[in-house]
Formats: sequence, C-alpha cells, structure tokens
Amino acid sequence: MVDLPEKKVGIISCSGEGCVEGTISRVATRLVLERLKPEETVTICLPLFLAGGGEERAFAKYYPTITVDGCEKLCAKVGTERYSGKPAGSIVVTDMTKSPRCSRPPSPRKLNSESLALAEKVAERIAQEVDRVLEHWR
Amino acid sequence: MSEYLQTVFDKFELRVRKGYCYTEDGLWISMEEGRIRVGVSDYVQRTGGDVAFVELLKPGSTVERQAEFGTLETAKTTVSLLSPMSGTVEEANGRLGEKPELVNSDPYGEGWLVTLAPRNLENDVKTLMSADGYFELMLKKLETEHRKLESR
Amino acid sequence: MKAGKRKKVVVVPCSGIGKALGSVGREATYEVVENLRKGVTDTTCLALIVRGDEETLQLVKNNRCIAVDGCPLQCAAKNVELAGGDLAASFRVVDTLRENRKLKPKSVTFLDHDGQELANLLAEQVAQKVDELLKR
Repeated sequence: MVDLPEKKVGIISCSGEGCVEGTISRVATRLVLERLKPEETVTICLPLFLAGGGEERAFAKYYPTITVDGCEKLCAKVGTERYSGKPAGSIVVTDMTKSPRCSRPPSPRKLNSESLALAEKVAERIAQEVDRVLEHWR
Repeated sequence: MSEYLQTVFDKFELRVRKGYCYTEDGLWISMEEGRIRVGVSDYVQRTGGDVAFVELLKPGSTVERQAEFGTLETAKTTVSLLSPMSGTVEEANGRLGEKPELVNSDPYGEGWLVTLAPRNLENDVKTLMSADGYFELMLKKLETEHRKLESR
Repeated sequence: MKAGKRKKVVVVPCSGIGKALGSVGREATYEVVENLRKGVTDTTCLALIVRGDEETLQLVKNNRCIAVDGCPLQCAAKNVELAGGDLAASFRVVDTLRENRKLKPKSVTFLDHDGQELANLLAEQVAQKVDELLKR
C-alpha cells in the first residue's frame, strides 16, 4: 500500500430516492462528516465514483472505505468492490431497523422523528466503524 | 516531468502550475511578451466552490496593485479578486459569462480571468511568490486550517 | 416509438452528497414527483442506472427522462444517456441559482431556507418541462 500522509476513511453512501432508508443512509453519512468524525472522514460521491470519477476512485484505491447502503441492492458496496476493492466496512440500514420496522414517513425525503433517530443511530454505527478501521490501520 | 507541483488533500488533488508567479491570495500570473495573464489557483477554486458568476473590470480600466479587479461568486461565498499589479486591463475572459465553470475545471488554462498591461512591472513583480513558494504556503494553509473542502 | 408506451416522465437527480446543490436537486425532484406532478412522474436512483440494474434501465429506456444535476459534471445527464435512456431534458441547479442570485444555499444535510426556496423554484421549472413533454 502507498504510504499516505493522512489517515482518512472514505464513506460511500447510497442516496436511494426510492426508499426512506436511502435518505437515512445519506443523512447518517453527512452527520458523520459534519459532526462525529469531521477530521477523519471524506465523502465519496457514489454516482461519480461509479461513473469513473478520477478523484473518487483514486481515493478509494488507496484509502479504506466504508459503504453505507439503504437497501439490499447494495449499490455502494457492490460498486466499491467492483471498482476499488473490498470495503473496510459495510453497513446496511435495513439490517439495523428494529422489528417491527420503524413506521414509514409519508415520503422518503422527510424523516419523521423515528427515522431521524435511526439516522442518528446509523451515524453512530458508522463512526464506530471509522474508529475500528483507523485503529486497524495504525 | 509534470508541469505542476501537486498534493492531495482529502480526495482532492491540488496543483500549482510551475513557471507562474503567485500572490498570497492565490492568484497566478504568467508573463506573455510585455503583458500579464491572471487567473486563480487550484486551491482558490476548490475552496471557493462551484463558480456561478464572474465579474471583471472591463478592458481599458485601470487598476492599482491589491485593488479589486473582479469577483467570483459561488453558491457558498464571494471571492474578491485583488490585482497582483498596477496597470490597465487589456482583455477580460469573455467566455466566463456563459461558462463560469471554466474557472473550476481549468483554472490554469481556459479559466483565465484578465490580461493586464503592467505599469510598474519591475517593482510589482518583487511582491510575487514563485510556484515553489506558493506551494509551501498552500500546504501550510491546508495543515493549519484543516478544512473539509467540500463542505465549506 | 410505440403508442401508449411512454406515460410517465422519469426525473433523475444526481443527489451529489458533497455539495448543497446536490441536495437541492434531490429535494426539487421529490417536490415534482410527490407533489407538483404526482402520478405522471417517477424517480429512480442514479446509482442503479450506472450499475446497470435491469429494471431501472427499462424504466429510463421506456420513458422520457429529465436529469437534474447539482454541478457542472452532470453525472445524471451523462449517465442516463450512456445507459441508453431517453434524455428529453436536463437541468443544472447552478443555472437556477444564477437566475436567483440572492439565494445562497449553504447546508448540505438538511436544506436551509435558501436551499429550500431554490429547490421549490427549480421544481416549478422541472414541472413545466414535464407538462411540455407530456403534451408531445
């Protein structure tokens, strides 16, 4: 592996418009970037990454990545594996919903209090994964 | 050999074009047979964000060193462009009216801003930095400010 | 073009996660699909298009598409076309921003007031384009 000057982790999130879990995935990732681990993380734009974005793919090639997917289609995880390599961590939002499933807000874009709480929980989970990956990297 | 000095910050590659001179604010200057061409560095366009508007002094306007000759307006902020030299604006890049994104996509090439006929070249050039000097300054800024480039 | 085949317009946002204008485009898309032109529009994930998900590809090939891009890279427009989708129109959020200079959306995660206003303005523009396309 290339000797890199900074230890940073790339977070690759889906932002699936079709389901609330996609929005949760996106919000959780942003919470990590802005609040929980701002110095340790970088966001990778998934469509740009999949379409061949040079900077996104270069980063994912040399830095560890954590994928965050809303649903079982696993766009972020599959894409990362295809174009970069196995991600260091992988989170699927639907795996984290309690049973019974949290009630669905009227629209994928508007998170109700329950889904917002889930986004916070997912964000915490991502942050834990970041710590684990960085610890392993040292 | 590369035309650029470069470093990586977050996922972004930041480049400084060799052979140009620079101001501390991140404007580059290239000398072209008695006239100078001016633009912004990779660092300035990256930290400023996607450019939506470019306002520049019209050809024929005179400007003093360190006076404003234009602005870059992005979704996030407005960057004041301070002239590296005293002189007269000869040309303003007319393409930037319709395609301001050229400042982002090609800051050292098609995203140039103005050309100036300098009035005090010998003295004003002493205030400028070499590419190496600006590169070091840029590294220092990245280190001390530790900003997240995409979220500013 | 088969008669009766294309009943909906599919609005595809880039949803770029790194910039406020990506969030604005996403919000504008939802506003069109869930509110302004509900029933005659649909949306889908750009990632599924790029990955070649068969169901998604059929959706964009069988319906006219409008791309909504947050930045000049235009991931949505380019990739809908690359996938063989019928790209009937393309919007760049920055162009709507240029028409509304006083707005300065800053927040990415949750849109601020300027971001929401910009999204609403863009949504109206997209809705008008949907009307044009459906008349054809």
